[in-house]
This record gives sequence, C-alpha cells and structure tokens, in this order.
Amino acid sequence: MSSTFLLGAANGVQWGDTIFYLVLFIVLMALLKHFAWGPVSEMMEKRADKISGDLDSAEEARKKAEDLAAQRQTALKDSHSEASKIIDRAKKNGEQQKVTIVSDAQEKAQTLKMNAKEDISRERQDALDSVKNDVAELSIEIASKIIRKDLNADDQKALIDTYIEGLGKQNEAK
Amino acid sequence: MNEGAYVQKLFGIPFNLSNDIPGLIAAVIVFFLLFWLSRSIQLRPTKRQNIIEWIIDFTNGIIKGVMPDEEGKKFGLLAFTLFVFIFISNQLGLMAQLTANGTSYISSPTSNAMTTLSLAFMVLMLAHFLGVKKFGFKGYFKNTYLSPIPFLLPLSVLEEFTNFLTLALRLYGNIYSGEVLLKLIYKFATSFGVASFIPAIPLELIWQGFSVFIGSIQAYVFVTLTMVYISQKVEKE
Repeated sequence: MSSTFLLGAANGVQWGDTIFYLVLFIVLMALLKHFAWGPVSEMMEKRADKISGDLDSAEEARKKAEDLAAQRQTALKDSHSEASKIIDRAKKNGEQQKVTIVSDAQEKAQTLKMNAKEDISRERQDALDSVKNDVAELSIEIASKIIRKDLNADDQKALIDTYIEGLGKQNEAK
Repeated sequence: MNEGAYVQKLFGIPFNLSNDIPGLIAAVIVFFLLFWLSRSIQLRPTKRQNIIEWIIDFTNGIIKGVMPDEEGKKFGLLAFTLFVFIFISNQLGLMAQLTANGTSYISSPTSNAMTTLSLAFMVLMLAHFLGVKKFGFKGYFKNTYLSPIPFLLPLSVLEEFTNFLTLALRLYGNIYSGEVLLKLIYKFATSFGVASFIPAIPLELIWQGFSVFIGSIQAYVFVTLTMVYISQKVEKE
C-alpha cells in the first residue's frame, strides 16, 4: 500500500481497464437499448399519447353531449310553442266554422221560409182562380136553371163580378 | 487498493482482471435483471414492468431537473444505463467478496479508482464532444472557458480537471472506504473466535445496510453530476 500512489500499482497503471470499461459500458448500453430501454420507453410514450388522446376524446364527447342537451332543450321549447300555435289555429278554425255554419243555416232557413211563403201565396192564387171559375160556371148554371132565359153576357159578367167581390171581402174579413 | 491485483497483459496492454471480472459480472447482472424486468411489456403495466418504469422515470426525472425536455430526451438511455450499472456495481461488493491466494476476484467494480476514472472520463469526454458538436469549436471554447468573464480562463481550465477528478474519486472513495470497513469488521470477527464473531454480526449488518444506502446515493449523485456537466456544455450560459 505504501508504495502505491492513487492509481499506480507496483506494476504500473492498468490502463487496459479503461478500454475494457468503455467497451463494456457501450455494449451494455446497446443491449439495454435493444432489449429493455427501447420497448419500455416506447410503451411509456404510447401510454402518454393514449392518455392525452383519451382526455381529448372525453372532452369532445362531453361537448357533444352538451350540444345535444341544448338541442333537445330548444326542441322542447319549440314544440311547446308549436303546440300552442296548433291549438290556437284549431280554435280559430272552429270559430270560423261556427260562424259560417250558423250563417249558412240562417240563410237556408230564410230561403226555406221565402219558398214556403211563395208556395203558399201561389197556392192561394191557384185556389182563388179555380174557385172563381167554379163559381162562375156554377152561377151560370144556377142562373140559367132559375131564370131559364138567356142572359145578356155583359149583365151576367157584372153579376158575377159583384158576387166575387163579395166573396173577396168575406175572405179578407176572415 | 491494489493488493490482490491480478494483472494480465494482452497485446501489450495491461489488464487488471481483479477489476475487470467484477465489472463484467455487474454488467451481466444488470443486463439479465433489466431483461427479465422488461419482458411482456403492456400498455397496462404489470408488476415487473412497473419496477423498470419506475427506474426509467427516476433517471428521466434526474435529467429533467438539469436541462430542458427536448434536450434531455437524448440522454435518457445514458442516465438509465449509468445509474443501474453504478448502482449494481456498488452493491456487488456488499453481497460477495471473493479473494483467493491473495488475488481478489469479486468486489465492487467501483471500489477501484480505474473504474470510476474510466466512467468519469467517458461521460466528460462525451460532454465536451457534444459541446463542440453543438456550438462548433469556437463557440464551445467561448461557452466553456470565456463565459461569464474571460479572465477566469485559468480557473475554468482547472475546473474541468477538478470536475473529472471529483466525479471519479467521490464515487471511488465512498465505495472503497465502505469495503475497507467491511473487511476490517470481518478481520475483527475472525480475530478472537466466538467472542468477537457474535458481536461482529450486527456490526457488519449495520455497516452493510449503510453501504447500500451510500451506494444508492452515490449512483444518484454520479448520474446527476454527469447530467449537470453535460448540460453545462450543451447549453449557453
């Protein structure tokens, strides 16, 4: 020990050791890179990438869900207003229909009434006319039977007219 | 430190096999340990994968502390290998010490100054090389030696040597002293028979536990300082 300095042994410096360790270390490093360091650190990197990718996609999914929720909310609101609009329209339609139905009915009733009135008046006229004729014939027969003599046509007509007038007055008085 | 050195010459280059064998053993242990830990890698980590990922996170954290992310990514493998290798080297001598016929075959590789000097030399050369590569030689010289104040140039040059020596000798000193004390306690245990063997057991136990702690701290310190020196060279001050 006393004869040796820090590095120097009795038989000099074994500088081959330096070469040996350099080679040893480099070979060890190359082997580790191929068998241990390489695959493991690659996998670690892959994992880091995957985690950040997962985080990104989670963020995206959250945003999408939020969008969907907002869309649904607006759709719900829209459907509310749509429904009330539909109801309003139906109400208005109903009202209109009511009005037209009523007016139609009124019109119809009016025309029916008018027709009936017309019918009645025509019938009355017809009846009057037929009665007129009947009475005229009847009275001629009666008169001819009673008087047995030819009446002057003018006289006869005047006679009948007065008779009918009397009938008409009687009718109006009724 | 050189008692029990087993020196062999190969192509005229002296190799200290009592230093190289434990280095090789440590490297083999490191490789098979990490190889075993990194089998069946999955996106959802299992037990073994968690351990190796924890180590990688730890060394990446060291780098993150001293330089920006995009710069530091390149040194992840270096820090990882350096940390695991030094850590295992520090612990190797605590688990096994083999000395036969006055020649040591197994001890901590880092309890030999040659090992730590080699490692420190390697990482500091790398730091200087990266500095030159990034800024060109002129920029590197300016960045390293002339900033912030040019007249500190002698101190800056001196600092490069002290960085090298302190980085290597800090690790060496800690581990070597730990082993010396382990051996001393062992000597004490065998010197008086049972009377000293029994009290030596808890002593050795305590010191081994403390050495595990020191070994971990020193591995961390070595990697941290390595990254600090590299970042000094590749970043403008």
